[in-house]
Amino acid sequence: MKSPDTQPPRTPGQRADVCLLVEGTYPFVSGGVSSWVHDIIRGHPEVSFAVLNVGSHPGAYGEPRYQLPDNVIGLHRVFCQETARPPLDGAARADLREEIRTLRAAADIRTEPSRVLAGLRRLHLEGAAEPASRLGILDDLASNDLPLNEFLYGRASFDLLTVLADRTASETPFLDLFWHYRAIHVPLLRLLAAPVVPAACYHAIATGYAGLLAAVWSRRTERPLALTEHGIYAREREMELARADWIRDAAEIDDGGFGLRTATWAPHISPLRKIWSGFFRALSRLAYAQSARIVTLSEVNRVKQVADGASAAKIDIVPNGVDLPDSGSPADDDQQPDRGLIALRPAPLRVGFVGRVVPIKDLITFIRACDLALHTAALEVRVIGPMDEDPGYAARCRDLVARLGRGQQIAFVGPMPPAQIYAELDVVVLTSFSEGQPLVILEAHARGVPAIATDVGACRELIEGREADDRAIGPSGFVTRVAAPKETAAALIRLARDPQLRRRMGAAGFRRVAAYYQRRDMLTAYRALYASLGASGADVSYSMGG
Amino acid sequence: MAGIGWKLQRLIDRGSLAGTIGAYLTGVAVTSAPWLLTTAVLTSLRIVARRSGTDFAVVERFLTVVYAVTVILSAPVHVVVSRYTADRLYDHHVAKIGAPLRRATALTLIGFALAGVVLVIAMRLPLAMAAVGAPLCAVIGAQWLMLSVGGGMTSPVIVLRAFGLGAPLGLCAAWALDVTFGFGAAGYLYGFAAGQLATLAVLIYGVARAIPGQADETARLAPAFREYRLLALSALAYYISIWADKIVVYLVQGGDAATFYAAIAAVSWFSVIPAFAWIYVQIETAFYRRFRAFYADIEIGAPLRKLQEGAEGIAVEARRILRGAGIVQASASGIAIVAAPLVVHAVGLSPNATPLFRLNALGAAAQMLTLLEVLLLYYFDLRRDALVISTGLLGGSAALTLLALALGWNPVLGYLVACAATSAAGVVLVRRRLSTLVLDTFQSQPFGLS
Repeated sequence: MKSPDTQPPRTPGQRADVCLLVEGTYPFVSGGVSSWVHDIIRGHPEVSFAVLNVGSHPGAYGEPRYQLPDNVIGLHRVFCQETARPPLDGAARADLREEIRTLRAAADIRTEPSRVLAGLRRLHLEGAAEPASRLGILDDLASNDLPLNEFLYGRASFDLLTVLADRTASETPFLDLFWHYRAIHVPLLRLLAAPVVPAACYHAIATGYAGLLAAVWSRRTERPLALTEHGIYAREREMELARADWIRDAAEIDDGGFGLRTATWAPHISPLRKIWSGFFRALSRLAYAQSARIVTLSEVNRVKQVADGASAAKIDIVPNGVDLPDSGSPADDDQQPDRGLIALRPAPLRVGFVGRVVPIKDLITFIRACDLALHTAALEVRVIGPMDEDPGYAARCRDLVARLGRGQQIAFVGPMPPAQIYAELDVVVLTSFSEGQPLVILEAHARGVPAIATDVGACRELIEGREADDRAIGPSGFVTRVAAPKETAAALIRLARDPQLRRRMGAAGFRRVAAYYQRRDMLTAYRALYASLGASGADVSYSMGG
Repeated sequence: MAGIGWKLQRLIDRGSLAGTIGAYLTGVAVTSAPWLLTTAVLTSLRIVARRSGTDFAVVERFLTVVYAVTVILSAPVHVVVSRYTADRLYDHHVAKIGAPLRRATALTLIGFALAGVVLVIAMRLPLAMAAVGAPLCAVIGAQWLMLSVGGGMTSPVIVLRAFGLGAPLGLCAAWALDVTFGFGAAGYLYGFAAGQLATLAVLIYGVARAIPGQADETARLAPAFREYRLLALSALAYYISIWADKIVVYLVQGGDAATFYAAIAAVSWFSVIPAFAWIYVQIETAFYRRFRAFYADIEIGAPLRKLQEGAEGIAVEARRILRGAGIVQASASGIAIVAAPLVVHAVGLSPNATPLFRLNALGAAAQMLTLLEVLLLYYFDLRRDALVISTGLLGGSAALTLLALALGWNPVLGYLVACAATSAAGVVLVRRRLSTLVLDTFQSQPFGLS
């Protein structure tokens, strides 16, 4: 294993078999997608990987959380933003004014219109809705003929902003629209300007900025692109946008010229949210268009991807996979239905939330559900996972536990080695707003631990089964609605009161994982995918199935 | 709208002729009273001296040079100090005004005293005159600073009171020292200096009362000179341009010709007083209201359409002011041209000065319009554009005056053409900048600052 670093490739310019493009995760964030990426890399030792991490800004993440495997020949980083400069004093402001003035003069000397701006115009106004136009937009963006300063200070980009204002946000506070316009596009332009990491093929682990960059590099280098979506990026962003408090909308009240106008904030959905949302959807469409293959984790997600503009013919379903405790075959498991079952314990029920403590996991609902269940049943609740990604949210969760007076029953234990986690749990609970195909459920099931999860992503498939044979195995837990603490609490109470039910569900989970969600199957599918894309290290003929 | 703006607007809003006249007289008082009173005193001294048979030429030449030097050298200082003060008032850091202003005043007094010493030596003033000449230079230099800061911080009444006291005091003292005590020409200088000192004392008192009690002694003015360097350079260029033709005449034709030329120019500048007053009232009322509304709209969250309307409103208002100033000035210039012989006679100049006075009046009119354009550019913080106009005026005035002299023409022709050309260029620049106000306002915003 290599020491974690952010050094350039061992041999400058060395071409990797696969360049993995991730947004904000591997190797700087633990869990979820990062674990999956790490697993994919380790599972293909014959393939050389380059990893491109798209980060928000330098310093946003600390040290890598994973030791880079030896087959990673380069870890590259690009940032959507620079680290914000501190406030300037008057003299420095004056210098900056002059600098901007010079930049503005330089920005407006272009004779040919920018292709990137033309692409952005189509992206916003048409939303890349027409499949035929998507590759054209990508080619425009791939031209990278719009320097950041020209965008920030030039007339042409402002003209595009005014067109956007007229057509999509005519009553929106223009000041807000202006800053959002910059916030949307500066990351994009910084990414477009990033040097291409040479690779035989590109593999984006999401749409969004990473997916767009992968698509652009794929166009520029004429190397194939594969896309794996765990969650549906554009929809997850929409959920975040719907709750974002940094987007406002103002309606002005004129007092008739007395100069006493005030702003009130309109309750309707801001066009700014729509612009952001449309932008992310368009990014997804562009990545879908350029991808040779699109891998999704579940049927549920496949349907969403098709609805969002992906070609159904390109989509393969490759579920996540985990190793069974001693790597037995599914056939063996069928013959030994009790294998892997946890020992039943009288009380209390050991409940685990396993994952990052971030808003999208909706830990608040989990805590409330446990509080409700604790009125009826004895529970020993553990929150297992890193709490440093969103310290403010983590603090809110701790405060809630304290206010509910559940400090004795609900413990925040931080990250734990995966092998230890499930041995000490009777049930895993996942209350996320959004998920792809959570490894947590698979890992729990592999150890015979049932799960209670919200009806997002592939959770229902994992718990109730996807196809007829799968469903025949029986439920391996409960599926609840999103943000429904009473439903989660009811499920907890049932499992606490009925050890036999817990045992049956745990066994079903184990059988389901053994039959459909083994790591070796997933790796085989990806080995085939890489081979089909021309990654030299992978030589298995391409054969994937849903 | 600034405080004086509200008062002017209230006068105008009365709808009566008296209210409107009152507003414009206030404009005259604020924009021109100090200079008007000072020029009136100097003219009166010349007349009194001629009647008493005293040789006033040395005194007049020295005072002309002192005013030229102080107005030019103090321009960058008073522009920076007044801008610094205005910004601290705007950002509510009033405690940072007092200490830098005191230090600037002290340095101004010392600096101009030294400049005065150089002047009295260079002009070979007799010792009796030199003794008061150097301090007078310091007093006048400090006056400019107090006027610029006081204009924003104090009531115009303070300024009027200061010059209203100093002007007659100076005139009376000069007359008394010459006629009663027989001091001769030096008496005029001492008397004038006494009046100016009284003016400065009242100004300092008024400004000191306006400064907040608490003072942040760590506040520094020096960084403001870097921050506002383009403003300072622009002001310097503009003020030099006022004197550029006279300096060229002095260098080519000598002191007597230059003094004669400067005296005519000084009188001709009286013709811009009505336009100054009109501009002042319009800028402080209607234009300022449009200006504030535009930026308030941005802050309050107005949509693009409203901002574009606001920007168009500003452009329309600016065109109206330029047009109005042109009309007022054309009227005043017309009267000055027709009444030139009477004016020349009244101020004690030779009849030969009449055609020069007419041409100078036209040049002053164009230069006044250029000043309006520079002020409009300042309003939108277009410092580099203001600098371009100011330096264009300076270079044009100096070069064309020199060219006129080289061709054997009257130098005022060069000055007139330079002012007219710069004014025309300024109109074009102002219109162009205001046509892209929304674009410039937003696309000049920095990115990536905390």
